[in-house]
Formats: sequence, C-alpha cells, structure tokens
Amino acid sequence: MHRVWWLLGVLLLVLPLGSFAQERGVTAEEVVVGTSMPLSGPAAYWGAVGRAMEAYARYLNDQGGIHGRRLRVVVRDDSYLPPRAAANVRELVERVGVFAIVGLIGTANAFAVRDYIVRNEVVWITPTADATIWYGFRDKKYLFVTYPSYVEEAKILVDYAAKQLGIKTVAVFYQNDLYGQKGLLGAKQGAVRSRVRLAAQVPYEVTQTDVSSEAVKLRESRADAVLLYATPRHGALIVREMAKLGYTPKLLSSFTLGDPIMFALAGEAWNGVISTAFFPLPGTGDSRVDEALAILTRVDPALRANPFNALAGWAFMEPFVEGLRRAGRELTRERFVTAMGSIRGWDGQVIRQVTFGPDRRQGTNRLFLTRAEGGRWTRLSDWISYPVGF
Amino acid sequence: MVQLRTSYAQDLRLVSSWTGWLGVVLLGVGLALLPLLAPRYVVYVATMAAVHTLVAVGLNLLVGYAGQISLGHAGFFAVGAYTHGLVLTRLGWGFWPAFAAAAVVSLLFGYGVGVPALRLSGPYLAVATMAFGLAVHQVLVNWEALSGGRSGLFLPEVRLLGGSLKDERMLYGVVVAVTVLLVLAAARLVRSYVGRAFVAIRDSDVAAELSGVDLTRYKTLAFALSALYTGVAGALLGHVVGFLEPQLFTLFESVYFLSLVVVGGLASITGSVLGAVLLTLLPQVLSGVGEALNVLYGAAVILVLRFEPGGLYARWLKIQRYWRTWPL
Amino acid sequence: MAEDPAVLEDLAFVTLLLQYVANGLAAGSLYALVALGVVLLYRCSRVLNFAHGDVSTLGVFLAFSGLVRGWPYSLALTAGLAGAALVSAVFYRALIRPVRQPTPLSLVITTLGFALFLSGLMVWIWGTDTKVFPFPLSEVRVYRLGEVVVSELTGGSLAAGLTLVGGLTLLVHRTRLGLAMRAVAQNPVAAQLLGVPAGRVLAATWAVAGALGAAAGMLLAPAVLLDPFMMLDPFLKGFAAAVLGGMDSLAGAVVGGLVLGVAESLFAGYVSVKYKATLSFVVIVAVLLARPEGLLGRPFQRRV
Repeated sequence: MHRVWWLLGVLLLVLPLGSFAQERGVTAEEVVVGTSMPLSGPAAYWGAVGRAMEAYARYLNDQGGIHGRRLRVVVRDDSYLPPRAAANVRELVERVGVFAIVGLIGTANAFAVRDYIVRNEVVWITPTADATIWYGFRDKKYLFVTYPSYVEEAKILVDYAAKQLGIKTVAVFYQNDLYGQKGLLGAKQGAVRSRVRLAAQVPYEVTQTDVSSEAVKLRESRADAVLLYATPRHGALIVREMAKLGYTPKLLSSFTLGDPIMFALAGEAWNGVISTAFFPLPGTGDSRVDEALAILTRVDPALRANPFNALAGWAFMEPFVEGLRRAGRELTRERFVTAMGSIRGWDGQVIRQVTFGPDRRQGTNRLFLTRAEGGRWTRLSDWISYPVGF
Repeated sequence: MVQLRTSYAQDLRLVSSWTGWLGVVLLGVGLALLPLLAPRYVVYVATMAAVHTLVAVGLNLLVGYAGQISLGHAGFFAVGAYTHGLVLTRLGWGFWPAFAAAAVVSLLFGYGVGVPALRLSGPYLAVATMAFGLAVHQVLVNWEALSGGRSGLFLPEVRLLGGSLKDERMLYGVVVAVTVLLVLAAARLVRSYVGRAFVAIRDSDVAAELSGVDLTRYKTLAFALSALYTGVAGALLGHVVGFLEPQLFTLFESVYFLSLVVVGGLASITGSVLGAVLLTLLPQVLSGVGEALNVLYGAAVILVLRFEPGGLYARWLKIQRYWRTWPL
Repeated sequence: MAEDPAVLEDLAFVTLLLQYVANGLAAGSLYALVALGVVLLYRCSRVLNFAHGDVSTLGVFLAFSGLVRGWPYSLALTAGLAGAALVSAVFYRALIRPVRQPTPLSLVITTLGFALFLSGLMVWIWGTDTKVFPFPLSEVRVYRLGEVVVSELTGGSLAAGLTLVGGLTLLVHRTRLGLAMRAVAQNPVAAQLLGVPAGRVLAATWAVAGALGAAAGMLLAPAVLLDPFMMLDPFLKGFAAAVLGGMDSLAGAVVGGLVLGVAESLFAGYVSVKYKATLSFVVIVAVLLARPEGLLGRPFQRRV
C-alpha cells in the first residue's frame, strides 16, 4: 500500500494551484517581473545583474513605487544552462505569473525561451545577447531591447583605430562563443571598410585558464592593435601575458570590459585601452550615473564588487519602469506596449536616448569611445550611431 | 513474508506482486493524467526528467551492470541530438526516420568508443571517455558548417499524429512513451543472457571469459547500447529545448549523468528512474535559493551516499522490506 | 654570419619553439602539482577525488582572507595550506571513511557532491567576482633567457613543483609515515593487523594531498586570478596528467603534467588553437592504448 501513498504524494507535489489574475503579474498593490540568471556555477559572475535589478526595485518601492504599485523582482537561477532557463521562464510565467521577463543572460538561453515567450505573448525586456540576433525577427511585438550590438561595436572600434590611431593591422582575441564570434564578425567587416588587415584571429574557450600560447600567437601576428572580446578575467590575463612578452600593441576592447575591476586585474597593462560604452561610466563626471551606483551599493552593499554589472541591471530595468509610468494606473499588456512605443529620445538616469516606436524595438543604437588611464576613463568621442536593425 | 523464487519464470517477471501491479497501474494513470491536470511548466519539467531518465538508464547499463565507467556520455547525447537535428533540417526526413538515424549513429559511435575502451579500466577509462566527450564538444563548436557552431541549430516544427511537438503536452506524450518503452526494454534486457553477461564482466572479467562470455563482444555491446539510449535521449532533448548548441553537451553534463546513476543506485533500473527524476526536480524546486543551490544540491548528494552508498534504490528496498514484514 | 636571412629565420623559429615549450612547462608544472595530489590519494585510498580542485581553491581563499586582513605572507599562506589540509582530512573522516560497504563509484560521486558543496560555499562567502591574489613572486617581472621570456612566478612554480615532488618522494619512501602509507595502500587490513593505525594514516594522506593542492592553487592564483572556479580546468588537466603518467606513480604525475602542458602549448602554437584540448587528449588516449597503465605506472596484475 505504501506505493499508493508515495504516488499520491508525488501527484500532490506536481499539482500546485495556478493563480489567475486579470492581467498576469499585476494586482492593485504590485507588478511582478521575473528573470533567470546564472546565480550558481562558473558564469555566476553575471548574477550581479539580477541582484542589481532587485536593488533597483527596492529603491523604487522606497520612493513609493509606480502608480501606487510596488515592483517585485523574482530572480531564478539557471546556472547558465538553456534547459534550466527554459524551465524557469515557464515557471515564472505560469506559476509566479509575471507581467514581464527582464533580462536573461546569454544568447543560448535567449534562444531556448524565445519561441515560448513569443507564443505566450510575454513582455520581454532586453535579453543580453548581441542585438543582431533580432535583425529581421518578426514576432517582436512584446520585445524591447536596449542592449548594443557587438558587430556594430567592433566596426566602430576598428574604424576609430584606423582613422584616429593610424592602425594598419589588427588582431582579434575572442571568446569562442556568440559574444566573441559576433565581435570577430564586426572586426572583419570593419577591417574591410577601413582598409585594415586582419592579422590574426585567436579564440579561447571560457573554461580555459592559461592563455600564454594565445599571447605568443598574437605577438607573432605583429598586429598594430589587438581587439579584445573576452571576460574581464581573460581580458586581464591576455593583456598581462602580452606585456610579459614585451608585445605592446594598441588595445581595443568591448564595452563589457568597461568595468573598473579591470584596473585591479590587469594593473598597469590596462592603461591606454580604448573601449566603447553604452551608458556613461561611473567616475567620468556624470553625476547621475555616480548617484545611481551610490544608491545601488547602499541598498545592496555586495554590489560594490561589481559596479559595471550593477549599473547594467539598472539600465535594463529603467526603460521598463518608464513604460510602466507612461502606461498609467490602468495597466494592461496592450497599454504597456503602446506606452513603450511612445518613448522617444528619452533619457534615463543611466541609459540615455532611448527611442522605441510602433515598429521599432531596438531602443538604443549608439555608443561612445573611452580611454582607460590610471583607474579612470576619459571620454574620447561623442555618441556614434549605427543603423537601427529591428 | 519473504518471497523466494522457485522458478526461472519468476526470476524473469518484472512485476511480482499485486501491490507491484497496483503501483504500475497507478504510475501509468499518473503519467497519463499529468499533462491533463498539471500546469504546462510542470509538464515541461516532467518531459526533461523523462529525457534524463533515458540517459540514466542507458548509462546504468554500462556503469552499473557492465562495470565500465564513462565521463563522456555528453558526447553520445550530442551525437544523437545533432544527428537527429541535422537529418531533420538538412535531409528533410520525417521525425521517426530522423529518430531512427540518431539511434543508429549513436549505436555506431558507442561501438567506436567501446573498442579502445576494451584495454582500459577505472580512471584510465574515465579519462579516455572524457577525451571523447571533449572532442565531440570541440568539433561541434568549431565545425560550423556541420553544426552551426555557437549560433545553434534550430529544429523545424515537427507534426506528429495531428499535433505539433512545439506543444508541451504532445511532446510530453512522445517523450514519455519512448522512455517507458525503452526503460521496459532495459528491464527485460538485464534479466536476459546479455544482462547476466554484463554483470559477470563487472564482477570479474577473467572469470566471465572462462565461463564463455565473449568479452570483446559484450563490452562493446554495453557501450553501444548505452550510447543508443543516450543518443535517443539527445534526439528528444532537441525538441524539448527547441534548438541545439554545443554548450548543452559539456563535461558537466557527463558528470551530472554519472551522479544520476550513482545517487539512484547502480545496477538498478528503478534506481536510475528515481535518481533521474529527483535530481532533475531538485534544482528546479530550489531555483529560488540562488547562490545556495550548489551547497544544498551537493549536501543532498553527499548525505544520500553517506547513509546509503547503494543509492536511493537500496533505501527503497529497505522500505519495501519493512512494510512486507510489518508489524514485526 | 648573423646577417644571413636564412640563419635569422632559423633563429626566430628556434626562439619561438623554445617560447612555446617554456609556456608549456610553466602550465605543465601546475598540472603536475595537481596530479601529485590526485595520485597520492588514489594510491593510498583508491578514491578518485573530484573535490581536490575545490579543496585547493578553498585553501587559496583562506590565505586570501588572511592577506586582505594584512597578515604577513608566511602566516596567511601557511593558514591556507593548513586550512585545506584540515578540510580534506575532516572530509575523509566524516564522509568517506564511515561509509559502510562503499562502491568505488559512490565514493567518487560523494567527492563530486563535496566539490559542488564547497564551490557553492565559496561563491556564497567570497562572491563570484575575479580577485587579485597578492603573492611574493611577481607574475609581471620577467627573466629573459635570450629571446625566451619566463616570468618570476613561472620559474618559482617550476622550482616549487620539483621541490614538492622531491619532498613527497622522501616522505613516502624514507619516513615512517610514508612506510605506513605504502603499507595501507597495499593491504589495509593486513596493515591494521600489524598495528598500523590505517584510519589515521589515511587521514594524514588526505591532509597532505589537500595541502599539496592548496600549494598548487597558490602558485596558480597570482597567474590566472582568483575566483571560486579557478581550479576547474587545472584540476581536469591534472587528473588527465595523473592518468597519463600512471595513477600509482608520483614521478609519473610530474612527467604526465609536463608532457600534457608542452603538448597543449605546441598544438596551440603549430597546429590549431581551437582544437588544442582535443589534440592533447588524443595524445593521452594514444599513450593509454599502447600502455594502459600510463607512462610510468606499474602494469596491472590480477589474480582470479
């Protein structure tokens, strides 16, 4: 008989009651948003984005929320595994009942949930994956993205190196996944456009710890500049290894390395690195960004170790919150989508110049260049725009 | 009441008591009702659990019964998944032919890995199979013309029996049906000559050979069958996730599969099912705890094996015995 | 003569080759240190310890915590080594030894569970952001041997690797503890009957292995930066190196580590960066097919 009880127990476990509201995730008191992040496992570094989103929501709630509703962020852990991300999003939508999914890190995870999100008409704000994956994507009604494109970024960097620094040859050190490969693609396109020779393309795997042979390869290419599409750790390692070999090319890097942690990790070798940024970096004289960082670290002191990811979390949430404000107290998905579509040239506290439209879902299409020096960044250029892709 | 077996037929029976039959019936009814009653995300997680069950049962044939270790099963998982995906997309075959192709190709890969494995055992075999898994992963990452590389391989929508595999309930039906059939087949297999040959090899390969078991044949067969189960599970995984990407098939997966088998119980089909289902549900149930997940997951694995080195199945047997002899 | 372009080219070729070999030896010496711990445990207790890398990282983090509190190097590093030794020994006494009727695989998976537990714990305590590990030897200061560049730290870890191998060999072959270790490895029951406290000897072995791993981690951390998953790749390579050299041979662990490091570096340099891991593992499998017991391992003997 015990087997019967066992089975009944299992059945009870798998039959939780669903909750049905008028608009999913919206009650008189709160709006619920969900996200799935790597909180455990080797990619857990990015989990700080989710923490920052929670901290930002807590800050807003202390200010009285939005139209009298509190913002609740539900973070689920996916360990950077697509099947887990897919299960999390399903659970967030069907059991927790979220109004929107904000974020979701990694292209593979985004691909694993894309069909589901489209089919169920879930509002989806800024999955952090290269923006070009959405080019030509038709089912984008509920999708709003303010994340840059690595392809366009690499083109801008190579252009700048060719025109302003007189670079003739460039080598690319890239992570062998979609992040690095999109950067490489952009570098190739930029090289053709600016008549620069691509001297070497050296990949690494994210699990790798030793990059000394890769550094020798880069030195052998004798490129004038090396473009980095790497994690902060691998970026710092390769730069140190190259310096050890006495190879000191001009260094260009993706905005993902616009992290203050780089100065600690790479030391002297990080001076002079030119990278892009999609929001003003802390400590570059933009008081509103500095203030945002101060707020986040006050609400959650653990974010201090991760200023870049903390601000990224804020930047992803901000346009969503603006959409909620514009949609008014009577919040429905359709009203929210219309409200988001009305955002034109809007400046948030961290992210700037966001523009959506009835058919435009790429909210930002510009970057600017910065130069790292002695633990600080200085701005090198004005905003540089690239064509809107979706 | 202790049950003694008095004939060979009794030894072959899968279910041996009326409580057993009741359990089977209830399990069947539960599996059939689940997609109708449970929310869709539960159906999704159950589908994932079924895929892992298939892998665990297949790996247990190799590890638990034949006594060979493998740290490369993510490789077979990938071979099955990509064969199925490529045949569907490039050749445009239907679901079942593509499914059969995945099974056959994984089987062949299993034989391929099984041959060099004949000479190796223990940690040596672990590293050799790990090399296989790593090689498959690197080839999939870098041979973009074949696999689509890190951009992934998207599976087309497949229609089957008037439904679409994009529908969770339909997919659940197909995956669970395949899993139940193959698990039953495995349960029969381990009671057959082949199963006993595997066990004989595990307990002492020299003695097995002396008793007339063809070592080469049965060791490679164990690898091949195990690869077949895992490859078939890979083919199904493609439909669960909707697309394939090399990152689904890393060494971590291989290690995870091994933990399913050991926590469930070596050399027990029921144990593999238990291990796969519980260890698939655990991280999903705990996904709200964030950073603490691995602490809890690791502690759970340690505690199970600290007090029950035979795995969950051993505890299950003890519970059964307790009730049989109750109230003594 | 030096003007001759052909000679210059040869020289450049040789320099480059030597640089790849030097890089390979540097990486390999760390694989060797990891492999030593793996082999030591496997020889004595027949357990394949998947938590070895995480115990090592824990030791490094303990030392790191001391250093950021301003402890001197000697104190902080010793505390790290001692911490790893203690954790390793306690793990053995509390979770491995008391298991009744263990199967080899259940022990392996127990260590795996412990690895997950420890890495989760480290993420919890120290966070996942990458940290700089201060160390007396500099990673940036370099020696130039002709055109070949070797960092101070690389030289240090190579030297430390060789010293530790020597020390360990002395420990195993010239001390009473070593004798007891070998006795327990050969036949635990007989050793116990002869009065060897097998439990304590094994706990000591686990402690030594833990400290050894932490030492490897401390040499690795300044070069590759510290985070909870730092040892993941080096552990797998170290495990592979141990197998390549032969799971029961300490010298084999060192040879295996160095061969693996150099093979990887040369493959990356001259064949393919993308397939370097695969190619080096192909080498290992090829060696194992020729010598199933590894390069320096003793051939298997079996009694029926």
